[in-house]
Amino acid sequence: MNKCTELDIQEMLPDLLHGKLDADARARVEAHVASCEECTEDLEVLRTVKSAAVFIPPIDVDRVVRQIPPYRMIVPAAQAPARSRVVSWLVAASLAVVVLGGGSLLMIQQKPSAQRVVDGIPAPDGSASRLPVPKPDSTVAPKPAAVVGSPTHALALATGVDGLSDSNLRQLMNDMNSFDALPTTEPEPVISVDNGNNLDQGSR
Amino acid sequence: MTPSPEARPEETDMELIKRWKAGDGRAATRLVGRHSQALARFAASAGEREEIEELVQDTFVRAFASLDAFRGESSLRTWLFTIERRLMLDRRRAERRSRETVPVEESDHVSEYGALDSMIAEEAQEKVRKSLEALSPTQREVFTLRVQQGLSYKEIAVVVGSTEGAARVHYHHAIQTVKEFLRDE
Repeated sequence: MNKCTELDIQEMLPDLLHGKLDADARARVEAHVASCEECTEDLEVLRTVKSAAVFIPPIDVDRVVRQIPPYRMIVPAAQAPARSRVVSWLVAASLAVVVLGGGSLLMIQQKPSAQRVVDGIPAPDGSASRLPVPKPDSTVAPKPAAVVGSPTHALALATGVDGLSDSNLRQLMNDMNSFDALPTTEPEPVISVDNGNNLDQGSR
Repeated sequence: MTPSPEARPEETDMELIKRWKAGDGRAATRLVGRHSQALARFAASAGEREEIEELVQDTFVRAFASLDAFRGESSLRTWLFTIERRLMLDRRRAERRSRETVPVEESDHVSEYGALDSMIAEEAQEKVRKSLEALSPTQREVFTLRVQQGLSYKEIAVVVGSTEGAARVHYHHAIQTVKEFLRDE
């Protein structure tokens, strides 16, 4: 069988089958098919395939239509973000109020307690001064339990060190030395991987 | 005498869509009636074996819900085929997940296609079915869209998410395979 060289016509065979060609194109394709064995065979194959289309039971159109929701106009895209922007601002403002309010509340609750701790330390000279002025040499013994509960520590934790006098700072430094949460000694040196030299030395 | 809305065969798809948007439910009936069988045939030829009507229904529901996105750049039928094809792929993915098997290979499509046995009775149809089984899934889609649905290469490219050139190549490979198969039978 001769190989067809008219590829553009070959490609139009399905269109001929479906009656999609205008009169001129149809006449051209039909004339070619009449003289081309390959296209004749192709057209026959296409007819067979088309007629062998799988049988499908008819679709219940009314049932399908009943499932289709009524048409509703979609909100233009330009308007949609405007509404969401307002909502976003409201959410952000609410969050800011909650965070600021909560933070303020915490600060209010913390300040009086710090003041109460300060109040709890008697002035050494018995004067009316409420400031904590412990004796410089009256360092606290290194008792962890006592240190943790010490009002001086509470003072250091509740307020900044900027406001402390030299003697208070000194006491605070002394107290820090007594923290048993910190390592009291230098860390152990890292043990190097034994490369066998030690064994050699030990065996000698 | 003015013709009833039901007796207006010359109305284009775009006109019917316009009528449906204006609230005319009969326009939807005409659109569904016009395209449902083609969708069902495409589904069957692509290997869907069950609940084809449900698939066609889902296609229309999805299409009507997003008709504003349809700009008429392709024909409505091509657009519907595209939606239906995506639904078929989703279905197959879901089936695959439920079976918890390895990803679907060519042979899986063939086995799905084999379930159409009961629908094809005659010997000639059986031969054609077998010849289509010999094609790859994409070749089969392109070939049936071209031969059984009469779509152009441009429309096929839209449906299968490919290019016109690739659709042509798939078609030529497909017709050679089908021809050889039918010759040998």
